[in-house]
Amino acid sequence: MRSIEEEQEHTEVVESYLSFKLDDEFFAVDVKKVFEILEVPAITSIPLAPDYMAGVINLRGKVLPLIDTKVKFGLDPIEFTVDTCIVVIEIEVEGETLQMGTLVDSVLEVLDVPNSNIQPSPSIEAKYRLDFILGMIRRDDDFIMLLNLDEVFSIQDVMYMQEANENLSSGELTEK
Amino acid sequence: MENLHNIYLEEAEDLFSKIEESLLLLEKAPDDSSLIAEVFRSMHTLKGSSSMYGSNKVADFVHNLETIYDKVRGREIDLSQPIIEATFKSLDHLKKIVESPDIPDPIDAKYHEKLTAEILGLLDESEGTDKITTQVQGTKRKTFLISFTPDKDIFTNGTKPILLIDELTDLGTSQVFSYMEKGLSSKKYDPKKCYTSWDILLVADEDENPIKDVFIFVEETSKISVTKVFDGNLLSLPEFTSQLPPVDLNGNRLTLKTVKSFISKIPKKVLEMQEEENEIMEIDVTEEVAVEETQKTQGSEESITSIRVASDKLDELMNQVSELVTTQAGLSMYSENNFDPVLNAIADNVEKLSRQLRDIAFEMTLIQISNLFRRFNRVTRDISNQLGKAVKFVTEGGETELDKKIIDSLSDPLMHLIRNSLDHGIESREERIKTGKPEKGTIKLSSYYSGAKVYIQIEDDGRGIDAEKIREKAITNRLISKDDKLSEKEIFDLIFVPGFSLAKSVTDISGRGVGMDVVKKNILDIRGDISVESKMGQGTKITLGLPLTLSVIDGLLVKVQSTSFIVPLVDIKKCFEIKREELSNDFNELIKLEDDKIPYLDLRKEFLIKDEDVPAKVSIILLENESNRIAVCVDSIVGEYQAVLKPVGKYYRNQEFVSGATILGDGSIALVLDAYKIIARKIVKQKKSA
Repeated sequence: MRSIEEEQEHTEVVESYLSFKLDDEFFAVDVKKVFEILEVPAITSIPLAPDYMAGVINLRGKVLPLIDTKVKFGLDPIEFTVDTCIVVIEIEVEGETLQMGTLVDSVLEVLDVPNSNIQPSPSIEAKYRLDFILGMIRRDDDFIMLLNLDEVFSIQDVMYMQEANENLSSGELTEK
Repeated sequence: MENLHNIYLEEAEDLFSKIEESLLLLEKAPDDSSLIAEVFRSMHTLKGSSSMYGSNKVADFVHNLETIYDKVRGREIDLSQPIIEATFKSLDHLKKIVESPDIPDPIDAKYHEKLTAEILGLLDESEGTDKITTQVQGTKRKTFLISFTPDKDIFTNGTKPILLIDELTDLGTSQVFSYMEKGLSSKKYDPKKCYTSWDILLVADEDENPIKDVFIFVEETSKISVTKVFDGNLLSLPEFTSQLPPVDLNGNRLTLKTVKSFISKIPKKVLEMQEEENEIMEIDVTEEVAVEETQKTQGSEESITSIRVASDKLDELMNQVSELVTTQAGLSMYSENNFDPVLNAIADNVEKLSRQLRDIAFEMTLIQISNLFRRFNRVTRDISNQLGKAVKFVTEGGETELDKKIIDSLSDPLMHLIRNSLDHGIESREERIKTGKPEKGTIKLSSYYSGAKVYIQIEDDGRGIDAEKIREKAITNRLISKDDKLSEKEIFDLIFVPGFSLAKSVTDISGRGVGMDVVKKNILDIRGDISVESKMGQGTKITLGLPLTLSVIDGLLVKVQSTSFIVPLVDIKKCFEIKREELSNDFNELIKLEDDKIPYLDLRKEFLIKDEDVPAKVSIILLENESNRIAVCVDSIVGEYQAVLKPVGKYYRNQEFVSGATILGDGSIALVLDAYKIIARKIVKQKKSA
């Protein structure tokens, strides 16, 4: 016989998240945003594009822009291994649904997480921009960072990054 | 519901342009009855679909208009200028209110009332005019008595008497009486036999013969009589119908005698009136029928020759077809490399089929430019009236077909150019008479194919552009210096510089100096070009050159290290092959080609591509636009390629020299370069270093 608490747990909203790794850290995105996962095909790079724009790939006849998620998060550019994957996601940009590929070191698993297990992101350790992170999922001893994809890959942010890069190169980094 | 609304709006838009077109023609020939009928029909359809969609305000409004044109059609009133003017105004108003039929804007609502009153006023006026009734040789209505007693074995012939009755009643208004044979007992009853007979009172335009024809197959075996009992519609007279017996299967048959006796009981006056009315009604009725019929035939023709398809479905079709073409290229390549006769044959067939399919799909996305031209007809009329200028607007080559996207993006620039011609080009009436020109100015809008391009020309016979004035203005604006020697063409190109306007005064219509630069930008955006020719006092001609389509591009496939690029063929002047050493150690970045020193751009350097596998021999592509020539250095030229253009996405919008990407036969991606932007890049660089 189930206890009342158990019943309550069962009526709670449980969402699925896809987890992946960048270097040694874990991240997760809402499965509903994930279109598919690909092995890395031939990549055509676009000249003079920002570093984190890794180029374009041919996804069954569609030209899909590719983002190096690691550069985007301020890590070293991705190194291609057998585990390297492209997570194709769908995001809302300027009122349009866009598809794009994100390069990650490895894809782990799909997690079912009840909403109550998602903790607000800690404000102390602001290693990543807070508006990028929806919350933290605790799993054993690790924390998985739940990403707000629409924010991470918004065009405005792409522009902002570009500006920042330009500022960096001209030696006057401005804090935003 | 949303969908229905859209269909309604589309239909309404079509009808508006149809009405406008006919009205413009009617202005010149107000007596053309086929045009009037056309206007009436369109209004009628508009009213119908409006009330169906539920916007009664629109329907009521159109109804009044329709009434006017109904009268015009019936020659009761003449199509006067005030009526045409009011119709134009109403159309403009209708265009607004079909979108939001509740008329939420109080100003619009007021205007709505005002216009309604105006139209009703026109209607009232027309009431006062004398009615001219045209004598139409119409067939008169008659009332027949038909009695039909089928042969008892009629069923065994495969005839269904009820169908005959149906056919008969289709001829006009009717009253049917049916009877069962009397004294029929259930014992004697044979279900295979017919015991029913009929008497029918039929009001029809027909003579006796067509009615008799209904019974042509049974006349030998059955008893049939068809008698005309009255010239006129008896069934419309209550005095007559009240005397008719109730429909009773066991009742007495309706004989000629009884019908005649009914008629004799109707007062003479009523009968005479009926006969007279009959004559007047004839005219209306027959015409109504005629209109309906033409509508019907038109409708059925249209449904055969064209179907409405949502344009995004067509886009999707084009996408799928271009994917098929790409996949097929892969198949062809594979079959060439693997000698297998069966595979080769299949690949050849697939290639043939997909090419045909691509051509058909491509053709489907093209639409005639006449739709666009028609819109300007109206605009020209309005603006020239507003400016008090007499202008003849001529269009030519409206059947030229272009990609829908191109036509859509042409609307604004063309509008601007036509306004310019009207405002600045065409002189006032007095001025024209003084200079010995015909009083009416002419603006000609034409389009034609030439090579892989479509050209659109706007030509006026106005005062032309004063090159010297432009020069002066450009000098005061510091666009050029006094000593600059410019060709006429270069001077005319100055009008496309942002903020440059020659107009002395800013008018409603043009002269703010924003415009020509936007026009040029819009045209460049659809990979077109624009040029100006003008002779003082004789007129101006502006020519737009446009690609047939935006989705397919003829290009040259080139390689720089491992990356493939496509350079549009139209921008390529020539190709050369040189040794790479000739380029190195050159600080000016100029290359000697055909005794000419031309600035060059090394794509390896320009695109920061690693210095690996540098070939000893490189290829030079000479790019040219109307004012500049530059050479572009690439590793090698692969060959010509028909590229299906795909967007690279918003994330690369800062890399504007890439206008798109295309997928090659082997599945890899080639980037399509925008020659204009590449040339601009080089020029900016040159200026910086200078």
